[in-house]
Amino acid sequence: MVIKMKSSKKIKTKLKLTALNIFLISLSFIGLVPILYALSLSLSGSVGALSADLTFLPEKVTLENYRRIITEEPFFTWLSNSVILSVATMTVAIGFAVVASYAFSRFRFKGRTGVLKLLLVLNAFPQILSMFAIFRLFKTVGMLDSKAGLVIVYAGSMCIFSIWNMKGYFDTIPVEIEEASRIDGAGDFQLLWKIVIPLAMPAVIVTAVMVLIFVWNEYLFATTFMLNEKSYTLAGGLYQLQSNDYGRSWPLFSAASIMVSVPILIIFFCIQKYMVSGLTAGGVKG
Amino acid sequence: MRRSNKRLPWAYSLPALILVGIVIVFPIIYTGYLSLTNMNLYHWFDFEIIGFSNYERALLKLDSGFLSALFTTIIWTAVNMALQVVLAYFIAMALNVDGLRLNRLYKTLLMFPWAMPAYVSILLWRVGMYNTEFGLLNKVLTALGMEKVNFLAENTPAFISCLVLNLWMALPFMIMMIDGALQSIDKSYYESAQLDGAGFLARNIYITIPALRGIIAPAVIMTTFTTFKQFDIIYLLTMQKGALSGATLQTIITYAHQNAFVSNNYGLSSAVSIIIFVLIVVFSLGTNRGLREES
Repeated sequence: MVIKMKSSKKIKTKLKLTALNIFLISLSFIGLVPILYALSLSLSGSVGALSADLTFLPEKVTLENYRRIITEEPFFTWLSNSVILSVATMTVAIGFAVVASYAFSRFRFKGRTGVLKLLLVLNAFPQILSMFAIFRLFKTVGMLDSKAGLVIVYAGSMCIFSIWNMKGYFDTIPVEIEEASRIDGAGDFQLLWKIVIPLAMPAVIVTAVMVLIFVWNEYLFATTFMLNEKSYTLAGGLYQLQSNDYGRSWPLFSAASIMVSVPILIIFFCIQKYMVSGLTAGGVKG
Repeated sequence: MRRSNKRLPWAYSLPALILVGIVIVFPIIYTGYLSLTNMNLYHWFDFEIIGFSNYERALLKLDSGFLSALFTTIIWTAVNMALQVVLAYFIAMALNVDGLRLNRLYKTLLMFPWAMPAYVSILLWRVGMYNTEFGLLNKVLTALGMEKVNFLAENTPAFISCLVLNLWMALPFMIMMIDGALQSIDKSYYESAQLDGAGFLARNIYITIPALRGIIAPAVIMTTFTTFKQFDIIYLLTMQKGALSGATLQTIITYAHQNAFVSNNYGLSSAVSIIIFVLIVVFSLGTNRGLREES
């Protein structure tokens, strides 16, 4: 009797787990459908999109769309623009934010908490809403259509986030290490450059990568501030590609989306573990 | 060594503060100034201060469209958040059932929509899912012998389409947060509850939910702000330049953007921007206080 009960319970949990597995497999599949569909279209030449029947696997796998996006569109120009902009933004934003967050973490000075709180409030202003003011400012000083202008906008937008993110990490590094090196005669700047930043490297890298992803994915400022197609980033170029005539370029667009997304997917899964703590560390942001 | 030095910290933070001054403070002040003027296409250089009539127009005149946009935004945020938290809760629970071997694989697969660049996902959905000719959803409908649906042509279907897409994009983050929080709950609570004969529902109501509340509150609040400020989904799905889909759905952010960049009503757009800023600041001060009291 006891054995029978045990085995029926076992069967019950087995059934439950099977049902759960089926549920989670279908959920994962549903989540991936839009991406898989784009992947399949990008591999099926130019006919796949127009066929009326419901096909999910390409009949004949071809890299034609990938070839076309590289040869017929200024893909490498867009790519190099994206790389230049994101690396430049990363350097400026992290360079400025690292010293600032160190100051906010290590020094106690008048106005410290006030500035920190003010920065959070300022960060609440939706970036899109300041687009017009910046547009007019840049038009007046002739900085439209320049990479430097966009770098300033991007770096400024990510600066507050970076300060808060890295300050949180600096707070966890014990100050005794710095005291010891100070006794050994290290100057202020030397201390920061040789001792503190190497210790904070994990936080610096994660923040830097998140700035990079932000710039890589930004299309609105990139297309509003850059006035000709040659100076677009990948995001801007892709946006342009689909807004022109997507009927013709939809398989092309799906190939381009896959190419743009793959590097981001790889980076994302490398730093995913650290991202969650960083995102919520500063409390309210968005 | 919490050092106190008067000049050095300011010297360190000055470059960053100047940058923030140019890119964030200046636009807010300038927007505040413009909100008091009649700047529009006809008054591009010779605009003048007209006081608070832009604010009056936005807040008191129903036909300005701001109040209905605000209403849409509130519904949008509320429905999204409710569905997100509930669905993510159940999915995270499912991922944490004992004996589930493949949960790491499922977690990785479920994270993909979050990892994709947002604008790429939205554009893929616009054509790959919702489009009447190429969209997968319509292909499925046709295959089932039903009529095609133009998902983005009218407000209600467009709202639901935007909602589904937002859930698709935002659920992974919420699932991950709740999953992390679930794992931090002490298992012994459940064991003693089981001994007391508590069922599935009772265990959820009396153990899991109270334990989760404090842990996931920051993530929920943060997501509420991002949902409230969501622009890309509605803009890219329904109102791109030259590709209006027919729906006239507006949230307050798209409303401000439309008024600045489409109808060139800069004064009104600026007033709306300032109102949105005030709303967000008041809301975030309120939630900050609430969070502090809870912890």
